[in-house]
Amino acid sequence: MYLNIKATKNNTFDAIVVGSGMTGGFAAKELTEKGLNVLMIERGREIKHPQDYDTAMKQPWEVKHRGKVTAHSAEELWANKRFGNLANDESGPFFTNDKDNPYIEKRPFDWIRAYHTGGKSMHWGRQSYRFNKEDFEANAKEGIGIDWPIRYDDLAPWYTYVEKFVGVSGQKEGLDVLPDGHFLPAMPLFAPEVHFKKMMLEKFNRPVTVGRVANLSQPQEWHTKLGRASCQYRNKCVRGCPYGAYYSSLSGAIPAANLTKRLSMLHDTIVAEILYDEQKQRATGVRVINQITNQVEEYFAKIIFLNAGAMNTAALMLNSKSNRFQNGLGNDSDQVGRNIMDHHLGVGATATVEGFLDDYVYGQRPNALYIPRFRNWGNDKQSYLRGFGYQGGASREGWSRGVNADGFGGDFKQSLTKPGQWTIGFGGFGEVLPNPENRMYLDPTRKDQWGVPMIVFDAAFGENEIAMRKDIMNSAMEMMDAAGFKNIAGYNRPEVHLGLGIHEMGTARMGRDAKTSVLNAFNQVHSVKNVFVTDGAAMTSSSCVNPSITYMALTARAADYAVKALKKREL
Amino acid sequence: MNRRDVIKNVALMLGGAFSAPTLMAMNHWESPTKSYPSVATFNLTQTQRNIVAEIAELILPKTTAPNDASPGAKDVGVPAFIEMMMKDCYLQPEQMSFIEGLEKMEQVKFLELNDNERKGILKYLEQETKAEMKARQMKQTKMGDNDDHEDIKKVAKGLPFWRLIKELTLLGYFTSEEGIKASFEYVQIPGKVENIKLKPNQKSYAY
Repeated sequence: MYLNIKATKNNTFDAIVVGSGMTGGFAAKELTEKGLNVLMIERGREIKHPQDYDTAMKQPWEVKHRGKVTAHSAEELWANKRFGNLANDESGPFFTNDKDNPYIEKRPFDWIRAYHTGGKSMHWGRQSYRFNKEDFEANAKEGIGIDWPIRYDDLAPWYTYVEKFVGVSGQKEGLDVLPDGHFLPAMPLFAPEVHFKKMMLEKFNRPVTVGRVANLSQPQEWHTKLGRASCQYRNKCVRGCPYGAYYSSLSGAIPAANLTKRLSMLHDTIVAEILYDEQKQRATGVRVINQITNQVEEYFAKIIFLNAGAMNTAALMLNSKSNRFQNGLGNDSDQVGRNIMDHHLGVGATATVEGFLDDYVYGQRPNALYIPRFRNWGNDKQSYLRGFGYQGGASREGWSRGVNADGFGGDFKQSLTKPGQWTIGFGGFGEVLPNPENRMYLDPTRKDQWGVPMIVFDAAFGENEIAMRKDIMNSAMEMMDAAGFKNIAGYNRPEVHLGLGIHEMGTARMGRDAKTSVLNAFNQVHSVKNVFVTDGAAMTSSSCVNPSITYMALTARAADYAVKALKKREL
Repeated sequence: MNRRDVIKNVALMLGGAFSAPTLMAMNHWESPTKSYPSVATFNLTQTQRNIVAEIAELILPKTTAPNDASPGAKDVGVPAFIEMMMKDCYLQPEQMSFIEGLEKMEQVKFLELNDNERKGILKYLEQETKAEMKARQMKQTKMGDNDDHEDIKKVAKGLPFWRLIKELTLLGYFTSEEGIKASFEYVQIPGKVENIKLKPNQKSYAY
């Protein structure tokens, strides 16, 4: 008995955060900085910043397969099988082996995972755009899904707060469609992109801006304090940045949380269940499994933040069954696992650019140009709802143009040492509508190697997305033509499924009504007030902009609310 | 483009004439090769290794002109790189296509031809490959429009031999230490990004 009490005491914290990625890191930072003792639990292996970025400083010839993917990793990593050359010798360590972590596809779903410290913040695209006012209101106006319980103004100060902390390089444009934020100096557009920007304004009245990217173009005092330095423009972010120049949970939030000395971390520890006390009507802790030793243990806390990534967060809720919650913790509405959204991509156009042959670039911009949404905006009206943004850019061809060109021999070799012509390409990121029939659930019988039920995906793009994709390709081609570009080639990859955007979200949505949503306006589970969900699962609609900065803003806002409620003894 | 057109094009490129051995080689071109139902392990014979090395060196030869002295593919280890890459990074369709390509080279006794004759063969191969790549591309574009998932799976035939060996020669050479340093202005840590004006004869940056 004495031993048990001691063990319980040792395993008790003010807060437990499940997941160490984009939002788990931020939750841990906020909660520790506000005085709480926090246990952060990561299911994957430990990566230390920056000493575990093994490939970060390798020269091209030291990377064995020179950026190509081996047949072995092509077979074992969805990131390759389904995305192309994403997990190669350089970035492979930051993707999860899918054969060891299988899931079931009733309909095809591309689930790209990153089980290690920092999660997907290790290899995110770093594009950081605020949702606009309309993004929070469109569901209600159009009768799609349910209304967001918050509006832009509720989140705006938290966007600023997060942008300052992570450091976002960007250009203020004064656009309603793409609200400005707190920016570090913008990166340059290249000569053909400047031309393109001008032509798009002239011909379509469509703005073009340089990407807003979480790379430090000019570190501030609070960045350097954490050991983060300026971007070196190597564009090798996927290897992990030894300068801490791009924001990740490892380079930013976790070091900040560690400064408080109130953060404890567990690695290789899978949270299998949230423990619920029927008498107290609150969650008391979590049951975990060590992924190496299979040892089971319980940890306890006053509040629990779920930040396991939208799909795993929902799976954890569904797997947490009790008398009170027979369909999963907080799942009175039956919305947990439903309304899977993502951004659909793999559609756009490429072209060659004539001229600008005096123009060249020194350094590698870890960023792109951005064309904000122009569809169903202002006076534009389409047959489908919502819209898309484009990301892409111009560059001069290098030696690889020789692969498909005629020729060989000495002169051929010599010619490839000079920059080739400019080419340009951009692809769309389209909004996906919430649909309760797009869902994931736990398989009733099949379990993974740790005895945790496997996830079944049953989701697909709908008519709205498919109609939008045609427009994404055609509009890209039209804009390139208007800019005078040549050899325009559109593409619309047919094998893209939900999930491939790696912006999966929506499986425990926020809402005003507990009957139709899982979380309230502060990301608090309606029926279990001391559990908060602040990863992508919380999203009520998807917008078309990259979501991480919104997830982090929601997290910071929820953490602030949670700690205030704790202090008022409301939790 | 059919085979006759390909030969005609190559002949034009080479100044209208083929040497007898080249023509003979081409006549052997389409005789059937040994069939490889499966490549369990990708292994090259010594002769095939020699052919790979000679072709790689023809694609990117050592050059000694004072204004353009740079190593060749063989100098920087490209032949071994190609074999390693074919083994590690390609699946059976490409591996089969690569072996078949080498077998054709053996059939036309590539190693016994002189330099010009070898170049003639490679020009022929290049034109043939171009036609094949164009056909593949058209098929792919068409499939993209039709959203036809099943058809995509049917493209089981590997990339042509010339496309593979050329890509791997360029990749191996232009990412090797000697190849990069001889060919480009290598900058490991740029420290900034900026628009610049290209100076006459300026080489590309490599990072």
